[in-house]
Amino acid sequence: MNEIILTNNSKVNDKYKSKFEIEFIEKSGYLNILFEARNMIYQGYRLLTHPMSSSLKPNQTKFRSIILQKNQNNLDTESILMIERAIESAEKFLKFKKTPDWDEKILDDFRTVDMSIIEGVLNRISFFIN
Amino acid sequence: MKLELGKIYIKDIRFGDNTEIKNGTLIINKKELEEFAISDERIKSVTIELARPGESIRIAPVKDVIEPRVKVSGPGCIFPGVMGKVKGVGSGRTHALVGAAVVTVGKIVGFQEGIIDMSGETAKYTPFSETNNICVVMEPVEGLETHDYEQAGRLLGLKVANFIGEVARNIEPDEIVIYDTKPLLEQIKEFPHLPKVGYIHMLQSQGLLHDTYYYGVDAKQILPTLMYPTEIMDGAIISGNCVAPCDKVTTFHHLNNPVIEDLYKRHGKDLNFVTVILTNENVFLMDKERSSDMVAKIVEFLGLDGVIITEEGYGNPDTDLMMNCKKVSDVGTKVVLITDEFPGRDGKSQSLADAVPEADALVSCGQGNIIVNFPKMDKIIGTLEFVETMIGGYEGCLKEDGSIDAELQIIIASTIANGYNKLAAKGY
Repeated sequence: MNEIILTNNSKVNDKYKSKFEIEFIEKSGYLNILFEARNMIYQGYRLLTHPMSSSLKPNQTKFRSIILQKNQNNLDTESILMIERAIESAEKFLKFKKTPDWDEKILDDFRTVDMSIIEGVLNRISFFIN
Repeated sequence: MKLELGKIYIKDIRFGDNTEIKNGTLIINKKELEEFAISDERIKSVTIELARPGESIRIAPVKDVIEPRVKVSGPGCIFPGVMGKVKGVGSGRTHALVGAAVVTVGKIVGFQEGIIDMSGETAKYTPFSETNNICVVMEPVEGLETHDYEQAGRLLGLKVANFIGEVARNIEPDEIVIYDTKPLLEQIKEFPHLPKVGYIHMLQSQGLLHDTYYYGVDAKQILPTLMYPTEIMDGAIISGNCVAPCDKVTTFHHLNNPVIEDLYKRHGKDLNFVTVILTNENVFLMDKERSSDMVAKIVEFLGLDGVIITEEGYGNPDTDLMMNCKKVSDVGTKVVLITDEFPGRDGKSQSLADAVPEADALVSCGQGNIIVNFPKMDKIIGTLEFVETMIGGYEGCLKEDGSIDAELQIIIASTIANGYNKLAAKGY
């Protein structure tokens, strides 16, 4: 299996760690996950899901899950452009307002939504033929 | 497909002994409606409250807004595949209570959206300060899972809207508007010299609180398809989306899609409004490629001269928007985009999360980042407990006196990306 889930969402990690390869960086914020995705893309991965999923703004939620795929060490230019735009957009929002220090109940709600969005893809990914 | 839309204008709303319409006033039997509404075991309590234009009332947090309608004749029912059997809709006669709206209110998640002010400076940013609102304030049973609560809330709103819509069945409408779209070849024959225009309607489709349904089918699962424009007027599309108040397309907005309304006004005059093409905004990049390829294929196959494209949401839907724009342009069809912007509070940053050179004709619905002051209101329907966690809100934005300083994007439909609002952008 070539797919890897990059996430800082413990709900995603707990539910899918036995089924998928997961890069779980729990302490990371939203922007750091995007930076890590960019690192991976420059190491030969490509994006399978859009790094700006959901209508939750980058300075609202701290949780981000992205699915990538090993690309046989070729640089995928579309992934590069997409991640750079996502970083630019996130930085724009964070410049004007930092992500609040939410309480645990709200953090849990954000985890739930983030997981729901990535789940829709994970449930189908076994049909994806390379 | 021809639909007669009978508009019954509602100018006032009040509680009374019977649920009925009298001289333009919608009267609701509060107890009867509350008892009817609570029949879902997932909902612990339902309270019905009324909010009229001009009253000092703030409604929060809002989940969906629905215009009550009833299918008087023709196949199917309002909200087919959801509130009744699946059957193609959009023909015959439908009655609508114009000026009335069912508003579902209740917490689903901690960062629940959005606000409607019925008066004051901020009322002008939402169309629902001008409707007579039947607010359905709901509370879930203890420990109800979020997906279940979202679904229960969604169905509750539609159920209440249908209950109220039923009273319009035998009322003589104040106005009847006829919308008529013929099959493609007939319509081209009817207006052979007019440019063929289509409307690409992008549906939010990402997951919990980000979903839309077409005949009850989750839009994440659809492939681009054709829709007669009148189908939307009978509730073929309903909203399950409620995470970004300002550009949320409520079920009301689907029923009253302004692009469809305006295209019909010019149909047969300076354009031939041929069809609506529905597509989605999935997170899976392969889905984005597939859907945009198929949209362009349909456009080329139909021989459309021009299309208007609208989206819902910010961020990755902008990528779908640009993919659709580029691929449709590549097949030789002219494209105009309608969308809202997030250029930061000073308006100087990049407005959209994505862009292509082909996106050179765009109508803006305004920007959601500017801070506005929300005056104190005498009454709150729902709760302000979540205002600071809503998109557009922030810690300290809710003042002790009940006033709020927050971004415009906290107001329901303030910058809605199909243009059903009063904001725009001008170039100088």
